[in-house]
Amino acid sequence: MTLARVLWFGLVFLALVVLHYTLRPVLAWRASIDFLSIAVLLVAVRARPGVATVVGFAVGLVSDSMTPGSFGAGALAFSVVAYAASTLKAAFFADNIALNAVFVFLGKWVGDLIFLAAEHRVGGSEFLAQALLWSPLAAAVTAVVGLLVLVMVRPMVGTPRG
Amino acid sequence: MLVVCVLLSLVALVLPSRLRSTVAGGLRGSVVVPLAALQERAEVSRRAVLAYDASLRIADSVRLRASQAEVAASENERLRRLLGLGASLAWGFVPAEALHGRGLGDDYTMTLAVGRNEGVEPFSAVVAPDGLVGMIETVGARSSVAIVWPHPDFRVSAMSVDGAAFGIVYPHLGSGATRFLLELRGVAFRTELQPGTLIVSAGLGGVYPRGIPVGTVLAELKTAEQWVRNYLLRPAVRPVDATTVMVLQPQRAKEGVSVAWQTSVDSALKMVMAAGDSLAKRRADSLAVRERARLDSLPAQHPRADSLAAPAARAPAASAPAAKRPVAKPPTDSASATKRTPAPRPAP
Repeated sequence: MTLARVLWFGLVFLALVVLHYTLRPVLAWRASIDFLSIAVLLVAVRARPGVATVVGFAVGLVSDSMTPGSFGAGALAFSVVAYAASTLKAAFFADNIALNAVFVFLGKWVGDLIFLAAEHRVGGSEFLAQALLWSPLAAAVTAVVGLLVLVMVRPMVGTPRG
Repeated sequence: MLVVCVLLSLVALVLPSRLRSTVAGGLRGSVVVPLAALQERAEVSRRAVLAYDASLRIADSVRLRASQAEVAASENERLRRLLGLGASLAWGFVPAEALHGRGLGDDYTMTLAVGRNEGVEPFSAVVAPDGLVGMIETVGARSSVAIVWPHPDFRVSAMSVDGAAFGIVYPHLGSGATRFLLELRGVAFRTELQPGTLIVSAGLGGVYPRGIPVGTVLAELKTAEQWVRNYLLRPAVRPVDATTVMVLQPQRAKEGVSVAWQTSVDSALKMVMAAGDSLAKRRADSLAVRERARLDSLPAQHPRADSLAAPAARAPAASAPAAKRPVAKPPTDSASATKRTPAPRPAP
């Protein structure tokens, strides 16, 4: 990866993080776009599993700092998702657009499930509604936006390593 | 690395809540400050957008109410003037709601929600507080149709309000905006009317009684006729604004109605005069109050005979038996004697 690409990559990553804390609160959708998941997955498919895990952990901690009640849950979810994405990218992350969308969708949904399980805040029917309705919806929206982001940034940051 | 991160995450999860808050607060106060600020700004922006919509709705509703209040105020004013006209006419009229159509030809006629049952007769004048509207053409049992002054067949004999000029008022059959003006035709050449002169019905012809405002002179119309003058008039009444009118019954028309409009014309003058008089009246009132106060203070110093007798004279009237008792007449020249004589008490 050249320096220019690294800089572009950093810029895109930063833009996604900023969007998460600016556009997301403005939209305030019930099934909201998770720009942090897109950013983490973008890193995960381009980095080694160890680096991806650290990035996921850091992003998760930043996310958790805004919700002290579930502090650590986001870090756990992002770490696992980033590691898994980095490990499984050869199988899932191909040039096929639909597969990329599925990759983002699964990454977001699994991350949400880990987060919900770890934070122990909701249970019963609320947990089921969140896990089986709102999380998939949010994952779908995130997948659509992630796909757009991937299409836009691919010329600048290049294709993921094999 | 995964194991380390997962372990650290689990540790973070099981930390005591106070410690977790401390760590989260530390992060928010250092690394996450810009992001927290961004999120705060975004949420403030969102609230501002939502509040803008709400405030816009409030402003719209206030504006709507204000416009409705204006309409209600003008309606009140119109009805007050109508009541004033009704009070001036006193009798021989039928108040009617004017139903305006919006179709072709409806500029020339007006349907009234009163008819023969209410005493409306054909060829009765239709008036409004501002002046002449038109004439009843056809009468049904419960409704009637009047032609209004833009109608091509409308004619009224008219004169200047001072009686110096006479003529016939026609609708001005021009085009565009001037279509809804009137013409005063056939004024003697020697009589020149100034713009703003009020033209009223002359009472000739038997349909329109004398003295109903028809319009005001706008300008002289230049025509080929060199022996008479024609004038363009601004109508006193706009038919579309006349939602409530009065139909003058023939007997009332014969009696004359000019006093009604004379009253309304004079009312402004009277108001001005009343305003001027109020200062003098206030001064006179204050003088009268001062004089009354001065007179009231007199009995204490020089009591009058009738005022001194009054308490003793009034009290027996409260009771018949007590009235039979002899009452000592107080001396008329002494206040102290009156004070010494107690008023008789009513018998139990």
